[in-house]
Amino acid sequence: MSTLAVPPEAPAPDLAADYATRVQIDRSCRQTVLGYYASAVAWLLIGSLAALITSVKMHHPEFLGNYEWITFGRIRPVHLNTVVYGWSSMVGIGTTLWLEARLCKVRLPHRTILPATVIIWNAGVVWGVYEVLAGHSTGVEWLEFPPQVLGIFGFVLLVLFWVSLKMFNERRVRHTYVSQWYLFGSVVWFPILYSAAILLPTTGMVGGAAWATTNWWYAHNVLGLYVTPMGLATIYYLIPKVTGKPIYSYHLSLLGFWANALFYSWIGTHHLVGGPLPAWIITLGIVGSIMMFVPVTTVAINHHMTMIGKFHMLKTSPTLRFVVFGAVSYTAVSYQGSLEALRSVSHVAHFTHYTIAHAHLGMYSFYTMTMFGAMYYIVPRLTRNEWSSVPLIKIHFWTTSLGVLAYFCALSWAGWYEGEMMNNPLIPFIKIVDYTKPYLVSRSISGSFMTIGHIAFAILVFRILRSSDVSMIGPTLFTSKRGTMRWRRKEA
Amino acid sequence: MKLTYLLIWGCMLAFGSSAVWALVWAIRHGEMSDFKAGAESIFDEEEPVGRPTDAFPGARP
Repeated sequence: MSTLAVPPEAPAPDLAADYATRVQIDRSCRQTVLGYYASAVAWLLIGSLAALITSVKMHHPEFLGNYEWITFGRIRPVHLNTVVYGWSSMVGIGTTLWLEARLCKVRLPHRTILPATVIIWNAGVVWGVYEVLAGHSTGVEWLEFPPQVLGIFGFVLLVLFWVSLKMFNERRVRHTYVSQWYLFGSVVWFPILYSAAILLPTTGMVGGAAWATTNWWYAHNVLGLYVTPMGLATIYYLIPKVTGKPIYSYHLSLLGFWANALFYSWIGTHHLVGGPLPAWIITLGIVGSIMMFVPVTTVAINHHMTMIGKFHMLKTSPTLRFVVFGAVSYTAVSYQGSLEALRSVSHVAHFTHYTIAHAHLGMYSFYTMTMFGAMYYIVPRLTRNEWSSVPLIKIHFWTTSLGVLAYFCALSWAGWYEGEMMNNPLIPFIKIVDYTKPYLVSRSISGSFMTIGHIAFAILVFRILRSSDVSMIGPTLFTSKRGTMRWRRKEA
Repeated sequence: MKLTYLLIWGCMLAFGSSAVWALVWAIRHGEMSDFKAGAESIFDEEEPVGRPTDAFPGARP
């Protein structure tokens, strides 16, 4: 990558004050946020490997079949838990802390405890993965780790809750930005949800249908009250910041937040459509799902209208590419989810690959892509280095975006027809298995593309963390004149 | 099953009431009084409205 040796100019006094405040805030976040990010990327790679092994086993069951530690029943929960508690949680917590510091304009507090939480959280995931691989999973989906591990996560979530409150109390801004509301949703609701969920099923206080109800109420709320608020907070901050254009309709954004807050916790029971539960519980879940049209539409209008006139920037900004991809996916997955909750749709789609495609549209296409975008924006500001390779960023974007699209299309198609065939008692089950096989192979291929993207991203993160040969004071760090690039070769 | 109902409805009530409480707090503290200022609160003198802040390494934003 070429460098231009132009010395930075001294900014005007008030500009310098704003700049200095931002640099101080970023510096205070450096150790903790980078710790969370580096760990998240490591778990992403491990989660991808587990995903690939699981996927291959779906069409070639004999693959690595002699090793009991990686049989399907163990490696599949390892994939789920490493990407949820390893990648998604750690990248989300890192982004949350940075965003809160930026939005409150205060330095990150407790800078000795917070880096320790990175180690504690990692230890929890390692312990949990070991237990699952050793065959000691609890068997409760999304909560397979033993209760002690879940207790470790609970402790870190309480620290996060405390730190968020402290920063908010000491904030130096008059206005509470919409992203702050979403982040509060995440750090306040998730510990409550999490405690409730681990209390019941893992302590054996309930069983049977009640267990399943709590389980799916929890699993769906992880998406809506933990992951989605972090993703939307990031999008609401980064699209305006990157484009330099405020949100199209601020009051719609607030309406969307409160509508999400009021309706989301109802909807988990739509996972149990057709199950042995009182009909009114499931109907309530369906009503909540349809009510989600309100917040989703506000978000969709806002994101699209903010981007109007700025779409050309998708060519020039890596952050914007990933974040806008995530934003569009959010709209798609949410509308799809609302419709999927309907009994008539669930009648076909339930217990098929269609649901798996939908889950990946949410957790990957929306959340993960958004978090990739967040890291492209935040990491250079924390390390004071620039990303080392444009081609690697492009490889990362195209392999992951096309990979997840191919994944989604193939499994949605296969899943729908699988559902139609399973509803016809005249079709033998093995025929349905044979029908889905080519699509399962295509999943392994698209998953491989996504993994290639993750490896490219891991190389970029590794290089920027160990101080690559070029540091930059230019468009991303923005110390001086509008839009003027200023590069300098780093002193050896 | 009763315990599950109690827990789930209790939590839903807690989530809902926290949202309502936050809404009342926001209105009382004037968070809803000036939407334009709210939308622009993430910009400052050094990164003002109209200035892009991200680009590929080596490219112009």
